[in-house]
Amino acid sequence: MSVDEPRRTHFNKEDVRLAATCVASGLLLAVMTGPAGNPESPLEAARLSLFTGHVWGFLLFGIVVAVISVFRRKVRNGEWQSSRAVPRRSMKAYFGDFLASMSTSWWVAFFALAVLLALAIADFTGPYVPGKLSFVQLFTQLHDTRTYGYIGFLWWIINSIRLRRSVHARHGVLPGFMKTPVFRILASAFGGFIFAFCADPWLPERFSFSYFKFGGGSTTAFLSHLPTWLWTACGLLLGVRAVLGERNKTVHANRLRARQFAVSSNTSIALYGIGLFAAFEAPKFLSPFWQEAIFQQIGIFCFLAIGLNIVVGFAGLLDLGYVAFYAIGAYVNAYFSGALPIQPPFILNPFLSIPVAILVAMTAGVLLGLPTLRLRGDYLAIVTLGFGEIVYVLANNLQNLTGGAGGSGVIGNFSINVPLVHLSLNGQALGQDLDFYYLLLAFMIPILILFTSLNNSKVGRSWAAIREDEVAAASLGINGLKYKVMAFAIGASTSGVAGVLSSVKQGILFPSNFALQVSITVLVLVIFGGMGSITGVLIGSAVIGWLLQFLLFHSFIDYQDADKYMYIGALLILTMIFRPQGIWPAKRRAREFHDAEIGLGTADAVGEPAEGPLA
Amino acid sequence: MSSYIAAGLFAGLIYSMVALGYTLVYGVLRLINFAHSEVLMSGGFAGYFFLHYFMKSNNEPTGTRVLLLIGALVASGAAGAVVAMLVERFAYRPLRRRNAPKLTYLISAIGASYFLLNFAGKEFGRNPISPPSPISATLQWNILGTQVSLFDVVLLIVTLVLFFGVNVLVNKSKVGRSIRAVAQDQETATLMGVNVNSTIAATFAIGGFMGGIAGLFVGMSSVVDYNMGFTPALLAFTAAVLGGIGNIRGAMVGGVVLGICMYVPIYWIGQPYYEPVIGFSILVLVLLVKPTGLFGESLGRSA
Repeated sequence: MSVDEPRRTHFNKEDVRLAATCVASGLLLAVMTGPAGNPESPLEAARLSLFTGHVWGFLLFGIVVAVISVFRRKVRNGEWQSSRAVPRRSMKAYFGDFLASMSTSWWVAFFALAVLLALAIADFTGPYVPGKLSFVQLFTQLHDTRTYGYIGFLWWIINSIRLRRSVHARHGVLPGFMKTPVFRILASAFGGFIFAFCADPWLPERFSFSYFKFGGGSTTAFLSHLPTWLWTACGLLLGVRAVLGERNKTVHANRLRARQFAVSSNTSIALYGIGLFAAFEAPKFLSPFWQEAIFQQIGIFCFLAIGLNIVVGFAGLLDLGYVAFYAIGAYVNAYFSGALPIQPPFILNPFLSIPVAILVAMTAGVLLGLPTLRLRGDYLAIVTLGFGEIVYVLANNLQNLTGGAGGSGVIGNFSINVPLVHLSLNGQALGQDLDFYYLLLAFMIPILILFTSLNNSKVGRSWAAIREDEVAAASLGINGLKYKVMAFAIGASTSGVAGVLSSVKQGILFPSNFALQVSITVLVLVIFGGMGSITGVLIGSAVIGWLLQFLLFHSFIDYQDADKYMYIGALLILTMIFRPQGIWPAKRRAREFHDAEIGLGTADAVGEPAEGPLA
Repeated sequence: MSSYIAAGLFAGLIYSMVALGYTLVYGVLRLINFAHSEVLMSGGFAGYFFLHYFMKSNNEPTGTRVLLLIGALVASGAAGAVVAMLVERFAYRPLRRRNAPKLTYLISAIGASYFLLNFAGKEFGRNPISPPSPISATLQWNILGTQVSLFDVVLLIVTLVLFFGVNVLVNKSKVGRSIRAVAQDQETATLMGVNVNSTIAATFAIGGFMGGIAGLFVGMSSVVDYNMGFTPALLAFTAAVLGGIGNIRGAMVGGVVLGICMYVPIYWIGQPYYEPVIGFSILVLVLLVKPTGLFGESLGRSA
């Protein structure tokens, strides 16, 4: 075999193992989304998921992932050559003829592929159909307009990939107009529109074709439904970005090489402006369900995630008892509202109990952090885990102090009553969800500005130094303990503020609102979004918050709310394995992870402190 | 009072079995294995299923009972070992291969713990179940003014045998030697021909075996449910720190001391649910006063 020829090796043990892992993951997903079991017949649930029509989509998914990953592995190891790696001349030899031979039959083949993939996706995301476990029911479920949306979408993607390939192979296959920026942007927007067709969770009428109409002001018609246009706008933006990105390719490459990632200030101001505008305007168009979710499920979680980001992202510590401070804030507010069995010396408006909550949560954070942070950083994780559990146990059992598991009394309103401003926000009243949302924004925006500038200040640089190399930081006179405790206390007090805000909305506090799961959920928001990147954390919170609500609509068989933690746990592992820096990483943090993997620095403050392990 | 000490002692034995898993993993990888609580849970479920299928009635003859107990012990230990090895294989090894920073291990382990916890909740239901017990509840002896049941005696014997076994395994056998070698210096151990991956897997398996058996005892003394591992595992970690994390004898003694220290205050408070509160206070106290624990930290260093 000569060296120039692409070497075609056989599949070795590693490939088989990889493929088996992928297929097994598909099957595991089938069990995860399958029916719930019971302890009397433990294997029945697995049997119902694996030996019925339920499994096909997942099996197909596993096989597709297996093929793709084995292919990528082969290409990465240099055993196979992808079309991109093949030199130009030989690629023409390879693919030119291949594409030239591609006739109608290939289009049909691609269409069949798209249909298969679309059926798989439709099967995953399909709504609850009683008795889905038989083939007839499976096909009934798949026979709705959503599935056709998926088919169209995938066909479009596959064909654009094919077209892309052919452009690489032979210039001029594409008609000239298809290469113009305008066409590409429009095509991208159309892609977003089609995606809205697939992914929109809200429309019960979608199962009939009558839903493609302007509904005369009805918000349930596809074309007058806001998410449709939001998705279209997303596609538009992606198209613009792709076109601009191509234009600036060399500029970007140079920036990457020089490790300068600065966006020009005009652009960033414009982006912040757009974000702010969207944050203010978009919620007004949402359905009542989402208006409630956007405060309680997404807004509060954004708030919590920004605070935890200080601890996990900036300081590189792990805090698993974050919800404890949230509970402390909520119960401080309840105490000063007179909602607890013990009466306060004076009743405070929730606005005024916020400083108290900050103080209490911060004190608790310092008291917990000071002894623990002197030791190895990973002790903090388990101590906070314990602390979270203790606060939960105490809230549950101290009947005379918190009202116990039965809940507290009703918490007071947010109210301002000065000349010109009259405001009263009552958590129990209906239709005030948006007011709470705007109140949250009013707290969030200053905090965002504060934390961003904190990260760019001396404090932020000290955090980065401690993360990257604690000994070196100590040799420069940075007091590691001080900055770690500071981060921990800032995170705690943010959580306390979130506790006050959310407690007013909840009205009555139940200890079950402060279980450990909340800490883990907030952790996954930070990790998935990108630790250390405030934008990333916000995006992560919005995406995951939306996803968890979405799961309630597109519920799998026997989906219960507690099942979401299963997906959250799996997401944590997968993020750590495949993309530890998150989907929207902070550039510096991503570089730290990369450097740590090749043996430079640590990327976290979890190891032994600079003063020695047990100083 | 003496009955509280006895209760603490026997609860402490369970903690020490779980603590061993933390200690071994910590000694080898310098990491807290957050997924260890789910090892305990899986052991509890495996034991429950074994007894559910094989124990037909509550009045089996003594010989059958002994066989059932041994079978349940093996089943839960094996389940614990398998789950621990799976966690190692899927949550730790991909990161180790990439030489990832430590924070990622902790997060991945928390993810594994949450995944297993709720997966079990989905597959086996979320209601607590009381497993049938092959150990007679009526046999009790009065020793020094305390009621000691057969369950406690079995627990004591099993713990002692297992600890003796693990001690021999780690200090005398070939696997044990490679575990100690990896704990001291991974790179050098590799150079000496030790297969680091399989040694780490063996470490997880040993700890998982003990954790699974502890899960069986937790299940038989209270209930089996998807959430059963959390509190015992947290307390067991406290026990491991108390005895000196990374130290096998420390885990044993730490568990017992922790159990007694936790149950004696309850004698005065009278509220059993403050158990974790007391245990946690002990953890913070130990970290404040003597973070190296009673016996110092070592695995292969001096032990």
